Amino acid sequence: MRMMGQICLLAAFVGVSYSAFACVMGARWDRRDLLRTGLASAVGGVFALTLVVAVLSGALLVRDFSFNYVAQYSSRQLPWHYSLSALWVGQAGSLLLWAWMLGLLALVFRFWPWKQPSPIRDPAFGILMAYCGFLTATMVFAADPMEANIAPGEEGAGLSPLLQHPAMLIHPPIVFLGYAAWSVPCALVIAALFSRRVAPGNNPPNDSITGAMSAVHMPLDATWVRIARPWALVAWTVLGGGILLGAYWSYEELGWGGYWAWDPVENGSLIPWLVGSAFIHTLMTWQFCGMLKKTSVALAIVAFGMCNFATFLTRSGIFSSLHAFSQSPIGWLFLGLMLVLGIGGAVLIVQHRHSLVADKSLTSLLSREAFVIISIVALLLMATVTVAGTLSVALSEAIVGRRVMVGPAFYNNVLLPIGLVLLATLAAAPLLRWGAPPTTRQKQALWYSALATSVLFVVVLWRGVQHPLALAVAWLAAYSVAALVASLVLETWQRNAQRPWLGLLRTLVSNRRLYASFVIHLGFVCIAVGVTGSSLGSQRHELVMKPGEVTQWAGRSIRFQRLIERELPGKFVVEAELEISSDGKNPYYLLPAQHLHRLQDQWTTEVAIHSTWGSDFYTILHNGEGRDAVRLTLVENPLMRWMWLGGWVMVAGAGVRLWPSYRRSNQRRQPPVRHLRPPNSARRQRRELETASS
Amino acid sequence: MSTAVKLGVAACIVAGVTLYMAYLGTTSSWKYYLTVDECLADAPALIKQPMRVNGRIVVGSLDITTARQHATFSLAGSGGELPVSCTGPLPDNLAEDMDVVVEGRLDDSGSLLGEKVLTKCASKYASEKETIATTVPPSSAGGRLR
Repeated sequence: MRMMGQICLLAAFVGVSYSAFACVMGARWDRRDLLRTGLASAVGGVFALTLVVAVLSGALLVRDFSFNYVAQYSSRQLPWHYSLSALWVGQAGSLLLWAWMLGLLALVFRFWPWKQPSPIRDPAFGILMAYCGFLTATMVFAADPMEANIAPGEEGAGLSPLLQHPAMLIHPPIVFLGYAAWSVPCALVIAALFSRRVAPGNNPPNDSITGAMSAVHMPLDATWVRIARPWALVAWTVLGGGILLGAYWSYEELGWGGYWAWDPVENGSLIPWLVGSAFIHTLMTWQFCGMLKKTSVALAIVAFGMCNFATFLTRSGIFSSLHAFSQSPIGWLFLGLMLVLGIGGAVLIVQHRHSLVADKSLTSLLSREAFVIISIVALLLMATVTVAGTLSVALSEAIVGRRVMVGPAFYNNVLLPIGLVLLATLAAAPLLRWGAPPTTRQKQALWYSALATSVLFVVVLWRGVQHPLALAVAWLAAYSVAALVASLVLETWQRNAQRPWLGLLRTLVSNRRLYASFVIHLGFVCIAVGVTGSSLGSQRHELVMKPGEVTQWAGRSIRFQRLIERELPGKFVVEAELEISSDGKNPYYLLPAQHLHRLQDQWTTEVAIHSTWGSDFYTILHNGEGRDAVRLTLVENPLMRWMWLGGWVMVAGAGVRLWPSYRRSNQRRQPPVRHLRPPNSARRQRRELETASS
Repeated sequence: MSTAVKLGVAACIVAGVTLYMAYLGTTSSWKYYLTVDECLADAPALIKQPMRVNGRIVVGSLDITTARQHATFSLAGSGGELPVSCTGPLPDNLAEDMDVVVEGRLDDSGSLLGEKVLTKCASKYASEKETIATTVPPSSAGGRLR
C-alpha cells in the first residue's frame, strides 16, 4: 500500500503540474485541445491525491506502523476518530490534506455551472493547479507522507493528549480549507490581469499591436470581482470559523482560562483573516462605486500571501512559539513563494495601473463607501500591527541589533482603539447609501438610534459598568442593533405601510444578501462584546479546599464534595466534585479533572465550565495537597458565550449571503464581456481567408 | 477642503493614535528574546531586565515542590547552564529534557527568576521528539493527584 501511495503521489505531482501548464498556456494560445488535456490531467491528479489520502487514512485506521507517519502520530490505544485525525497532525499529512482540499476546490471552481462562462476561468484554474503542484512538490521532495518506517514496532508514539479534543478533529482541516479557498480570488485576479480583459463598451483599437499595447490602459472588467466575492466570503467564513475553533480548543483544553495568547502561530492565521476582511470590502466598493481597484487587486494577492506567511511562521523555526512546530526547510519554500507573489503582484499592479483607475472619487463623508474605506483602513492597520508584533524579534534585531519581543499589552493597546473605530463604522452601515449621503429619513433614523442607544447606555451605567472601554463597546453594540432595526423599519414602511409584516418579508427577501451582510456585522459585534467582557471583567481566585469545605466567591457558594478516581481505557482520571449555587436553591455540579495518559505518561488538565449568557464559571483542578485536599483555580469570565455566539451568527449570515439566487441571476444576465482576443469563429474565418488568398 | 482630504486627515489621526498606542504598548511589554548562551554571555548587562529565554531543561536538574507551585531547574546552553527558579502554577507536562520558554528577570546572582514557564503545547506538526518527551513520574512530580 505504501508503494501504491508513493506512485499516486508522484502521479499527482505530474498530473497537476502538467494541468497548470496546459490550462494557462491553452487559454493564452486559445488551444482547446491543450485545455482539454489540462482538465483531464487535473482530474487525474486530484484523483491520485485522493488515493494518497485514502492510503494514509487506511494506514492510520489499521495502525500500519510500516508507515513512519503512522508510527509517529498514532497508537493502538487511540480511539479510531483521533487516529484518523492524526492525518492532519503531522507536517506531511497536513500538507497532503491542504493539497487535496485545494485540488477539490479547484475542480469545484472549474466545473461549477456558471451562468456567465468567462475566459478567465481556465487560466485561473491553471494558476490554482500550479499552487497545488507546489504543495505536492513539497511533499515529494521535502515531507513525504508515505515514508517507510525503518524499524516498525508493535506500538506507535500516539497522539499528544492535548490534541485529543473534539475541536481538534475539525480545527486544522477548516483552517486549511480557508487557506486553500483564499487562493481562488488571487488566481482570479492574476488571470484577469493577464488576460487583459476590458469593461463592456470600451472598445480597444482594431490594430492587433496597438490594441495589445493599449489594453492595459482600458478599465479592467469587474467580472473577476463578481466571481471572486463569494469565494472570498467562503474563505473568510471558513478561516474565521477555524480560528474561533482554535480559540475554543485553547479555552477548554489548555486550562489557563484564556483563549488567545498572541502567539506567532495564532497571529499567523489571524493576519490573512484581517486582510481578507478588508479585501471583501474593497470588492464591494469596486462593484458598487468603481473605486479601490488597485487596493482590491493588491489585497487579493496579499490575503493569499499571508496564508503562506502563516505556514512560513510555523515551519521556519525562526520564532519560539508555544506551539511545538518542528523545523524544516519547507518554511523557506513558502517564504520564497510569498516573495514571488509580492514582487509579481507589485509588477502586475504597476503594469496595469492605468486600467485600475477609479471610475469616480469620493463625494461624501457620510456615504457608505466612505465608512467602508475607514473600516478597510482600520482592518489593514490591525493586520499591520499584528504583523509588526509578530515580527518584532526580527525587526528589532535589524534596527537596534538586539532581539526584543512585545507582549500582549502591545496588541491590546493598539488594537482596542482601532477596534472601536471598526465597530463605529459597521454600526452605522445599515443607514448609509452607496454614492450619496443618507436621505433625510435615514439621517433622522441615525439620530433616533443614537437616542435610543443612549437610554440603554444610562441603564448599563446604572448597573455598575464604569470602564470607559466597556461603556463604549456597549454603546456601539447597541447602536449597531438599533441602526439595523431602524433600517428595516424604514424600508418596510416604504414598501408597504399598510401591512408592515408583508413589507418586512418583502424587504428581507429582496435584500437578502444585504441584510445577511449586516447579520455578519452583528456576529462581529457579539464577538467584540465577548472579548471586551472577558478581557475587562475576568477574575481569578486560587485556593486549597478540603472535602466538605464551602467557600463564597464571585456571588457563588462553592462546596468541594469529594475527590473521584476512575480508570478509563488508556488513562487514569481524578476529578474534584464541586457543588455550586448562586442563590442557594439551584445547585449545579462541576468536575474539573486531571487525566494521566498512560502511553505518554503525561498529566493533562481538564477544566469544567458552567456557561451562561452573563458569564462563564471556569474551574481548574491543579494538584493534591495531602489528605484529599485539592488546589483549585476559579475563574469568572463575563460574556464569554457571546463570543462563541458571534462565531455562529457570522457563519449563519455568510450561509444566507452565499445562498444562490437563481431568479435574480437570470434576470440580470448580461451579454458576455468583450475579450481582446477575437473569438474562435472570427479567427477561423480570418485563417480561411488567408488560406484562400494564398 | 475636499472629501478625500478630510478622509486623509482622519486616516492620519487614526494612524497617529495607533503609533502612539503602539509606543505605549511596546514600552510596557517589551522583553529581550534570548537563547541560554546569549543570556549567559551578557548576564551582567541583563540583570533585572525583562526577558524570555528558550532552552532545554537539563536532565536531573528539575525539582518541583509538593504544592507544585515552585520549580527549580537548569537550562542547557552550549557553554554552560542557566539556573532557573519559577514560582506559580506550572504546566502539566513540565519535564526534564524538554524545550521550555521562561519569562522573567535575572537576579544579581545570575539566576533567572521565572514569572512564567511555558512548555511547547504539543500541537500539530510536532515532531516525535517534541511530543513524547518523558514526564516526571507522577509519584515524584510533587503533589500530583495520587
